[in-house]
Amino acid sequence: MRLVVARCSVDYAGRLSAHLPLATRVLMLKGDGSILIHSDGGSYKPLNWMSPPCTLSQVELDDEQTAAGVRQVWQVTHAKTADTLVVSIFEILHDSSHELGIDPGLVKDGVEAHLQKLLAEQIEHLGEGHLLVRREYMTAIGPVDILARDAKGAAVAVEIKRRGDIDGVEQLTRYLELMNRDPHLAPVTGVFAAQEIKPQARTLAEDRGIRCLVLDYDAMKGVDSGRPTLF
Amino acid sequence: MRFEVNRDVFSDAVSFAVKLLPQRTTLPILSGVLIEADEQGLTLSSFDYEVSAQTQIQATVDEPGRVLVSGRLLAEIANRLPNAPVRISVTDSSVAVACGSANFSLLSMPVEEYPNLPQIGEETGMLPADAFSSAVSQVAVAASRDDVTPVITGVQLEVGENSLSLVATDRYRVAVREIPWDSGDTGTETLTALVPARTLQEVGKTFGTAGTVSVSIARSDEREIIAFRADRKTVTSLLIKGNFPPVKRLFPETVDNYAVMNTAELVEAVRRVSLVLEREAALRFTFTAEGLTLEAIGSEHAQASEAIDAHLVGDDTTVSLKPQFLLDGIGAVHSEFVRISFTKTENPNKPGPVLITSQSSREQAGADSYKYLLQPNLLLR
Repeated sequence: MRLVVARCSVDYAGRLSAHLPLATRVLMLKGDGSILIHSDGGSYKPLNWMSPPCTLSQVELDDEQTAAGVRQVWQVTHAKTADTLVVSIFEILHDSSHELGIDPGLVKDGVEAHLQKLLAEQIEHLGEGHLLVRREYMTAIGPVDILARDAKGAAVAVEIKRRGDIDGVEQLTRYLELMNRDPHLAPVTGVFAAQEIKPQARTLAEDRGIRCLVLDYDAMKGVDSGRPTLF
Repeated sequence: MRFEVNRDVFSDAVSFAVKLLPQRTTLPILSGVLIEADEQGLTLSSFDYEVSAQTQIQATVDEPGRVLVSGRLLAEIANRLPNAPVRISVTDSSVAVACGSANFSLLSMPVEEYPNLPQIGEETGMLPADAFSSAVSQVAVAASRDDVTPVITGVQLEVGENSLSLVATDRYRVAVREIPWDSGDTGTETLTALVPARTLQEVGKTFGTAGTVSVSIARSDEREIIAFRADRKTVTSLLIKGNFPPVKRLFPETVDNYAVMNTAELVEAVRRVSLVLEREAALRFTFTAEGLTLEAIGSEHAQASEAIDAHLVGDDTTVSLKPQFLLDGIGAVHSEFVRISFTKTENPNKPGPVLITSQSSREQAGADSYKYLLQPNLLLR
């Protein structure tokens, strides 16, 4: 990752034309070849950028550019579309390179995974006599969050969401349809478990015979709400 | 089908039948009200597989029959009809409602698909309606509205020998009241039934002036049903499954540290002082021999305090209580004075609960059995 702070102007030519007049900006040159031009604002969104695959080359300055005060010109060309981004640098204020290594990636929805783990550990939230069969029970169309057995030994498929809406009910419905074809499992009943269940999702789930279960994440984690209770 | 019926009687009956209908249903026929006309008169019913309501009224029936129409719409229409006899007739798929100079035509729904209402078992016992109605309003307010714990969203009815006790809790408070119960000659077995609080509240309101309410609790297979009957009206409800927590043992046996206040004065003061409180914040109550001081702190922009008369027995005490929870309790004592009793606790992180009971005068405790136990918040200062 090379970070450059420079006074520059930027022109984009190709499928669209855009011009950034002369100003101080941050140029981010990433290891994948891409370049992003950031101002001191606009959150994560660059003013302009070129996505990979692309190549950066320094262009020879002509007299006109030199007379105008340009010190360097970078031309970034996209490998497939031939779009070009031209950065005319008037002054470099900072230039540094850093080795970031391989990124472990964004862990999405940590809460959902944690809820699954907690519910598996505290399977009694499903009801008295329930036993855990396994987490991430694999079906042909993907894993069901939890497979359990109820007090009578019948299979129970649990779909866990942070916020339970219609999509989650549809997903569980697909799993249930498939699992109910398996003679070893059928009949399988569904439990839609979430920290909060939208009224429409609840109505749909109950209409399909799926039980709704609202999970108290804090209580399952053992976090005290700070307000004492009687019991 | 063709009949003529008194406007007010009809309007009352329809609004009773649709009151417990669900807001959204995936089976449109369940949003209907079933009207059956025969020689005895009219029967109006609604049912959504959980709750059913049925009532019989007098009517001049020219032609018997059954019809199913949208319940809410019919209730709204019946409520606005002019003061004249209501004439209803059914032709093919439409229902004509005529009253004075107003005429309505409603589409009917297929009556064959409507489910049968649950059978009501033998009577388990009888309740005085006024006591039942007031007990429900006193107790049900403490029931939880949180779906996380479905068991405590109901009111637990516990049948004893000659009494029925109603219990509700949301873990922050417990409300209990006992009322007389006449089990007739069916024996004195002890029974419990966990009834959804919302349904019970509607039942309490509906049957408040009925004289006597007949109750039947029946268990068949997996389903448990409770039925309330009075005034030719019946409400049934599925019971909530699960074990209600044993909250009655949380009540202290004796308390010797308590304060007695005028109920109206206390309610007024709490409402006034809590105006400056943020949501969920608690009020601070300091009881001393001089009286009770209420302080609203914790908000940066505003504070408030007020002192009222209180007769304290025992030690000076300070507690921090959520105003709405306190108001729910003192609003339910239905007596001129109210007693707040303090319990001791060994746990420094959990103040001892306060007990709210009725008090007929400064010295004399109330005669009723209403008890409201409230968990105070931690004192922050």
